[in-house]
Amino acid sequence: MQRRYRTVPDLKANESARAIAFDDSALACKLTSMGLLPGTRIEMIRKSPFGSAYYVKADGVRLALRQEEAASILLEL
Amino acid sequence: MNDVDGSPTLKIALIGNPNSGKSTVFNQMTGLRQRTGNFPGVTVEVKEGTLRFPSGHEATLFDFPGTYSLYPTSSDEKVVASVLTNPADPYFPDAMVYVADVTKLEKHLLLFTQLLDLNIPLLLALNLSDSAAELGIKVNASKLSESFGVPVIPISGRTGHNTMRLILELEKMVKSHRSTVNSQQSTVNSQQSIVNSQQSTVNSQQSTVNSQRSTFYPLTDSEKQVSEAIRQNLGVQNPYRALLLAHHSNWLHFLNAQEKETVSTIVSTKNFQSLRAQVDETLERYDRFIPISQAAVVSPPAFPNTPTDRIDAVLTHRLGGPLIFFTVMMLVFQAIFDWSVYPMDWIESGFALLSDFLTAQMPAAWYTELITDGILAGLGGILVFVPQIAILFLLISILEEVGYMSRVVFMFDKTMRRFGMNGRSMVSLISGSACAVPAIMSSRTIGNWQERLITVMVTPFISCSARIPVYLVLIGLAVPAIKLGGVLSLQSLVFGAMYVLGVLAAFATGWIMKHWLHRREHSFLAIELPVYRMPHWKNVLMNVWEKVKAFMVGAGKIILVVSIALWGLSRFGPGDSVEQADRAAQTEALQSSLDSGETQGLVQQRRLEASWAGQAGKVMEPAIRPLGYDWKIGIALLTSFAAREVFTGTLAVLYNMGGSEADINDRNDNEAKATLRERMKKEKFGDTGKPVYSLATALSLLVFYALSMQCFSTLAVVRRETGSWKWAALQFTFMSIAAYLGAWAVYALFS
Repeated sequence: MQRRYRTVPDLKANESARAIAFDDSALACKLTSMGLLPGTRIEMIRKSPFGSAYYVKADGVRLALRQEEAASILLEL
Repeated sequence: MNDVDGSPTLKIALIGNPNSGKSTVFNQMTGLRQRTGNFPGVTVEVKEGTLRFPSGHEATLFDFPGTYSLYPTSSDEKVVASVLTNPADPYFPDAMVYVADVTKLEKHLLLFTQLLDLNIPLLLALNLSDSAAELGIKVNASKLSESFGVPVIPISGRTGHNTMRLILELEKMVKSHRSTVNSQQSTVNSQQSIVNSQQSTVNSQQSTVNSQRSTFYPLTDSEKQVSEAIRQNLGVQNPYRALLLAHHSNWLHFLNAQEKETVSTIVSTKNFQSLRAQVDETLERYDRFIPISQAAVVSPPAFPNTPTDRIDAVLTHRLGGPLIFFTVMMLVFQAIFDWSVYPMDWIESGFALLSDFLTAQMPAAWYTELITDGILAGLGGILVFVPQIAILFLLISILEEVGYMSRVVFMFDKTMRRFGMNGRSMVSLISGSACAVPAIMSSRTIGNWQERLITVMVTPFISCSARIPVYLVLIGLAVPAIKLGGVLSLQSLVFGAMYVLGVLAAFATGWIMKHWLHRREHSFLAIELPVYRMPHWKNVLMNVWEKVKAFMVGAGKIILVVSIALWGLSRFGPGDSVEQADRAAQTEALQSSLDSGETQGLVQQRRLEASWAGQAGKVMEPAIRPLGYDWKIGIALLTSFAAREVFTGTLAVLYNMGGSEADINDRNDNEAKATLRERMKKEKFGDTGKPVYSLATALSLLVFYALSMQCFSTLAVVRRETGSWKWAALQFTFMSIAAYLGAWAVYALFS
C-alpha cells in the first residue's frame, strides 16, 4: 500500500518539506516546545556518522533527532 | 534571612530556554557572589547568587536549569515545573526574569507565556541584543511590553549592556507588586489602595499591568473543569497552576498521597487527556504569541549558508566528524598531562615541605603523625588532582561553550544507545577521565532514568586521574622500556591500553545493564545544535571553578575522613603489637648496625606490618593470593580505598624506602620511583621464595586498579544521584567482582 505521507527520514540531504502532523503525543510535546510545529519547513542536513540520528534545520533552528523522533514527524508529500 | 527593612530576602528566579545565554546573564547580574545549592528531593543543582540593588537592598537570584516548557522531559527541567507549582517551595520566586534569545524570539516565547499565566511578577530580558543588531534584527521592546503587559528590556549578557537597567526595573517591579499586595491585604477597601499605590510609584504603568494582567492562554472547557476541581479540592488559587498539577501530579514530590489521589481521580473522572492537552496548549500558545512577536520584530531574510553550516559540514561529517572528535580528545589528554606536571609538582613539594617542617617543629608524638601522615597527606592527596581536573574541565567547558559538545552528543547517540546510554552520556564519560564525582553529577541532563542510571553506574570504570600514579609505577616495573619499531614506546602503549580497558569495561557493563533493566520509557535525543560562538570566558571559568569545588568538597571531605581513618589503622595495632614491633626493629637494627635512616625505615616497616592494617593484609592474603598478591599488597589495596594513589605511598613504607612518600608520586622524581621498583623487584613470597612482582602480578595489579571501585567519594555521589545506597552497593560489588576476576584471569594467563 502506498503511504500517504512521508516522514523526516525519507528526506534526502538538502531536501526539505513542511511538517503536517506528529504521530506520537509525547514526542509532539517535546518537539513543539522546541519550536518544531506543524507547518514548519524541515530541511534534512545530514545523517549522523553511525546512522540512526538526523541533523535537521527547522525554521532556522538546528536540531539533532533520533530515528524515532524524526519518523514521528509526518511531512507533506 | 532578612533584609535590612525586616522583610524576608527577595527571591528572584532566572528562567529561560537552553542556549538563551541565561548563565551569562546570571554571571553578569551576580558577579562572583554565587554558590551552588543542592535542590532538596531531586538531585539538581540550582545556582544561587546575591543580587545587590542600587538602593542597598539585596535579593537572591536563582539560576534554574534551561527548559523549553513547563512540560519537562528530564530531571533537570522538572525542577522548574516543580518549584513554580508549589508556592510553599523554598525556591518559589517573588519575581522572575525570563531570558530569551532575541535572535530567535519566536522559539523562545513559549515558556515565557506559560510563566505569564502563573501570575508571578515577570520581566522579559531580550538577550543577545548586540548580536541582533549585527544581524540587522530590529526589535520594538515597548510594543512587546504593551502586548504582554510586562517590562521588556533588551540586554546583552556578553557585553553587560543594560544589566543595571534590568536590575533597576526588577526592583521597581517587585516594590510595586509588594505595595499592591500589602495594601490589598491591609485595607478593607482594597480598590482604593491600589489606586494609591499606583500614584506613589513613579512609573507604575508596566508594573500594575503586571499584577492585574489577564491570562495569556484561555483554558479550554475541559481544562477549566479539571483546573476548577483541583482549585477547590487542593485550595490552589491560580487556574494555570492547578492545571499544571493535573499534568504533573504523578511525579511532583510536594503533593502527599491523598492529594495525588484526589488529582488523579479528577483527571480520570473528567477524562482529561494530559499529553493531548499539552500539545494543544503548546500549539495554541504559538498561535497567540507569534503574531505579537512578528509585529515587534523585523528581521532580514536569513542567509542560507552561515559559518555554522560550513563548520558543521566538517565537524559532523560522517567520516571526518568522529575522526576529528578522537583527535580533539587525544589533544585534550595530551594537554592535561603536559600542563598539569608543574602545578602538581608544586603542590606535592609544598606539602612535603610543610610536612617536614611540622615533623621537625612539633614533638614526636601520635598527634604530630596524625597531622602530617593523616590530615596533610589526605589534603595533599586531594589537592594534587586539582590541576588535572581543572585543565580537563577547562577544555570541556570551552568545547561546550563553543557549541561542539552538542555535536558530539548527536554523532555518538546511536553508539551510546547500543550500550544502554544516551548521546549526552558522552560528556559524563569524558569527564570521568578526570574525576568520576563531577562526571556523575553531569549526567543530570539525561532525561531517561534508565539511561542516566547506566551512565552513573559505568562512569567510574573510566580511568580517572587518581589511577595514573599507580599505572606509572606498575608499568615502569612490569613493562620493558623498549620502543616498538624504534618509535612507539611499549610503556606508553600499555598506559593507553589501560584507558581502553576502562572504556571497554564501561561499555560492556552498559550493555549488560541495558538488557537486564529493560525498562520501556520515553527516551529523547531531540537536542538543539546551537550556533557556534566564541566562548565567554567568565562562564568557562565559573564552570571550571564549580567542577573543582564539586571535587574538593564532594570528594575531598570523604577522602580526608577515610585518609585519617586509614592513618589510624596503620598507626595503631591490637594491644601493644606496634610497640613490640618497634622495639624488635630497633634491636634488629642495632645488631646489624644500620645507620639512622635505615633504622627509621625498618622501624616504619615493622610498625605498619604489626598494625591493624597489617593484620588485615595478612587475613586477606589467602583471598588475594590467586591474583598473585602477597599480604603487603593487600595492605596497599586497603589503604588505597581512600584514594587510589595512596597505593604507591603505602608500598614505599612497606618496602622500607625510608624517604618521603611524596617523592614516589612525583612524576619527575625518577630516582624515587626507580628505588621503589628496585625494592619491589626484590620482594619474595614468604612461603615459596618466588619473587612477588613478576610480570603477571604487575599486570594483574594494573587490571585490578583499572576495574575496581576504590573510591568512597564516588559511591557517596552515586548514592546521592540515584537516591539510594542500593545502586552504590551494586556498583561496588559489581566492580569489585570485575576487578577480582579480571586480575585473576590476567595473572593466570601470564604466570
